[in-house]
Amino acid sequence: MSAEKKRDFQIVNHSVPRRDGPAKVTGKAVYVSDVKLPAMAYAKVLRSPYAHAKIVSIDSAKAAARPGVYAVLTSNDLTGLNLYYGHAVKDHPLIAVDKVRYAGEPVAAVVAQDERTAFEALEFIDVKYDELKAVLTPKEALDKGAALLHERTFEAGALRGFEGEVAAGRGSNICQESHLKWGDVEAAFARAAAVVEGEYYFPMAYAYAMEPYVAIAEVSDNGVTIYSSAQHPFMVRHDLTTVFKLPVSQIRLIVPFVGGGYGSKSYTKIEPLVAACAWKAQRPVKLQLSVEEAMLTTRSDDALTWMRTAVDAHGKIIARQARIYMNTGAYAENSPLVCEKATNRTVGPYSIPNVQIDTYSVYTNTVPASSYRGFGCAQVTMAGESQIDELATKIGKDPYEFRLANVAKPGEEFFPKMRPFDGTLKQDLEIAAKALDWQQTPPKGHGKSIGCSTSDAGAYPLTSTVIRVHADSSVSILTGSTELGQGSHTVIPQIVAEELGVPFEKVRVVASDTAITPYDRSTGASRTTTLMGRAVLEASREAIEQMVRMAAELLKIKTDAIEVVRGGVRCGEARLTWSEIISRYYGLPDGEVIGRAYIRKAGDFSKPPVFWETACTGVEISVDEETGLIRVEKLATVGDVGLAINPALAEGQDIGAATMGMGVGLFEELVYEGPQLVNGSILDYRVPRFSDMPRQVEMHLVENQDGVGPYGAKGGGEASLNSMPSNIANALYNATGVRIRRVPLTPEKVWRALKERQ
Amino acid sequence: MMPLRRFRIHQAREIKEAAEMLAQFGDKGRLYAGGTELLLAMKHDLLRYEHLVDVKTIPGLDKIELKNSTLHIGSTATHRSIENSPLIREHFPVIAEMERHVANVRVRATGTLGGNLCFAEPHSDPATLLLALRAKARVQGSKGERTLEMDELVAGAYETSLAADEILTAVAIPLSAKPRRAAYLKFQIHERPTLGLALVLELDDGQNIKAARAVVGSVSPKPCRSDKAEALLAGPRDKVEKQLPHAAKALAEAADPVDDLEGSAEYKRHLIGVFLRRAFDRALQRPTAHG
Repeated sequence: MSAEKKRDFQIVNHSVPRRDGPAKVTGKAVYVSDVKLPAMAYAKVLRSPYAHAKIVSIDSAKAAARPGVYAVLTSNDLTGLNLYYGHAVKDHPLIAVDKVRYAGEPVAAVVAQDERTAFEALEFIDVKYDELKAVLTPKEALDKGAALLHERTFEAGALRGFEGEVAAGRGSNICQESHLKWGDVEAAFARAAAVVEGEYYFPMAYAYAMEPYVAIAEVSDNGVTIYSSAQHPFMVRHDLTTVFKLPVSQIRLIVPFVGGGYGSKSYTKIEPLVAACAWKAQRPVKLQLSVEEAMLTTRSDDALTWMRTAVDAHGKIIARQARIYMNTGAYAENSPLVCEKATNRTVGPYSIPNVQIDTYSVYTNTVPASSYRGFGCAQVTMAGESQIDELATKIGKDPYEFRLANVAKPGEEFFPKMRPFDGTLKQDLEIAAKALDWQQTPPKGHGKSIGCSTSDAGAYPLTSTVIRVHADSSVSILTGSTELGQGSHTVIPQIVAEELGVPFEKVRVVASDTAITPYDRSTGASRTTTLMGRAVLEASREAIEQMVRMAAELLKIKTDAIEVVRGGVRCGEARLTWSEIISRYYGLPDGEVIGRAYIRKAGDFSKPPVFWETACTGVEISVDEETGLIRVEKLATVGDVGLAINPALAEGQDIGAATMGMGVGLFEELVYEGPQLVNGSILDYRVPRFSDMPRQVEMHLVENQDGVGPYGAKGGGEASLNSMPSNIANALYNATGVRIRRVPLTPEKVWRALKERQ
Repeated sequence: MMPLRRFRIHQAREIKEAAEMLAQFGDKGRLYAGGTELLLAMKHDLLRYEHLVDVKTIPGLDKIELKNSTLHIGSTATHRSIENSPLIREHFPVIAEMERHVANVRVRATGTLGGNLCFAEPHSDPATLLLALRAKARVQGSKGERTLEMDELVAGAYETSLAADEILTAVAIPLSAKPRRAAYLKFQIHERPTLGLALVLELDDGQNIKAARAVVGSVSPKPCRSDKAEALLAGPRDKVEKQLPHAAKALAEAADPVDDLEGSAEYKRHLIGVFLRRAFDRALQRPTAHG
């Protein structure tokens, strides 16, 4: 993408106030839970108390006979539907069939006139189970003779997104494997000047969004219409075409505002179940989960990583090897892709000549794991960035200097077959170091750390859009990108307003209705600014081309005599605005010009990844050695974003992601006792609060216009999470000399480690 | 959190009426004040009642007053009203400060002192501090009135010694003739504290502690004190300071902490030592009349 000079921008690169702000803070914004259809009924779900059991029988007659109950859904009466879905692996039944695979799995659903009636009927469903032995950790699941979660093989989902074969159901509990290898690892470790080796753990986490899952489905002769809190409506649509055996044109997903996602809203969740309820009850049905139920729906993969890294006598990293076991829970969901991405991201942002990474995603009888902000990178960066500090310490180098000497350089092909590195990590690290006064020794009981990460981001580049320039020069953008709070519905019109030279206020977004808005693969992997941004830019330019031709016709001149200026065209003294061109062309003060763009895996986007999502974070922590309590006193984020279309929103993403990473570093963790999740409520599951925020925060954006997005932009929004857990562990080491390789670093864990040191 | 099951609310106009309703409904009924804990448990389907007897409608039950050298806090006084009461801020700043850190402002604006004590959640801040302040519980039932010590009122986790028809009407806290110093500290990572520790010291003069009361809460099913610990906390200040680890050990033995999501028993025993010292330092820095 040829980069325009930064100083020329009128609307882009300015922190215009976010579009949805006023509606959201005044409570006027519409979410799915606000939507009510005529004659709508409500569903509630009966969940399995067992982690692994055969369903012997389900008797729902008593519940179905209760007043106000319209239907009870079980797997017994869904003839005509395909029950198994999954964009990666089709292993997930929309409701438990024959057996349950985790405590909390939906076994039946009641549809009734209101939620209370549905809920009160649940206890009248009689389910008889025959309990099976449960496997709860990858280690247990891979033991010889371990109970199998899935006895049969599955097809790969149509949009699987991973390269490897489907391992699921092939006689073991391995859901997916991913292997990466270059150079000669064994030889490199043999000649290394120093090696560190260790085992690291990143916990199960819940990507807490304020809005739990919610969906409304209506099934009619026209097909299936679903309102959902889904992040990726087009991916959900695809799953539903297979459930209902309907053409794409008869499945419609409508997504209003989504109340936060952080990974948890990506891909299909409750939509097949609510659609089946509507199909059975023959009326529109709403299903909204509580937070506690949402916590029984998706979580992050936890990861146990064995890793070793080697340097030569000059302090150059020469090899890294890792073996990673990810706990994917009962169903594949998006974990096969997380598995593959985690493998790639274990390399880190370093130029390493010898690499071997082997990752196994393993089924267990726990809540299914799926996408989580950072997408595998958070899990493995905990290991990788801890180990960078450990290695620096071992060879007597400053960890910051050690990173400077080893990070990938701009344009370097540090990852075979992938896009050359498109960031400037040295510059990013220098900014983080300055923000933290790196050379300054911190007070006693304090410690600092700087970390970084890069991810092969952007997912699969398939995005299309339409922009409609109206006869009054106002513009409607049709975009399939969902607004999850990240600000895409502010950033997208900024780009169009910039291109067309029309006021930002006159550009509006029509979003996320698969019947109206053109295909966009997903709103995730930090891809929207880059891919949808590039698409609306190209669509704007295509509309301009059309209007230039229209102007040429009106002025009876050649198109190359026309110069495009802000908001219209010029030819000598003659000036025409877009409005004048369209009105005069059609002969009415009405009509429109339609610009369109398709982005696919070609041209600028032919080489993966779409971009390297790169960021640094730095912290200074204090440690209360008596209690083990860590407080983050100072935080610095550096987002290597190419160009921030909206700097305030980009910074908002960075501090949000860093805070989320801080949560996992300090206290966030889903805890299982045996087969039961014991802190699966927001009373017990601790997320960061304002009182946890550091007193000093510095946010920096590095804007070298080196991405393939509009004006050289690249995505952000996930990367600042990745290096935060390891930062906290490294800063603790620097403060106390104690190394902890399992996050979160709860006060008790820190206290125990400190006690062992003495 | 699920939709609430159907139930009926009965708004009592006087204590006697509420007591009668409770007697009538038996196991199917429960007294309802702020509801911040009760309704939450009902929404999680952990508790089910067909009838709730609302006592917030009883006039005067939320009164905070000073009578005969005793502070009376009516049982339906909210945490927020206690936190902001000029009377309490003047005479018992430690109570106002403890209340300021109960849950969050939404809970404090709705939740009541009486509801908190009678729900007997093991992590109650007020139960811990009030036991240290020698507060008494005034109770009224169909057979008349009686007064209970705080550790008599709270029988265990989610359990009081009140009869089915008995209602906690007020908490009475005596002012002290002697200068008194107090501190309440808690250590909290999750929604519920890992530990709450209250220390009340009665001073003879600047250097001598005449009597002490130390209570640890949250670590076990109910707030706990220890005669042995309190004996070690009385005497010349420098001697007490040296005895703090022994006092903490005695208190920890009496409390017998349990392992749970907030921490292991071992960690909690350690924290009792840390926070007893911190409370001691805090209390002696604070010049107040009654704690």
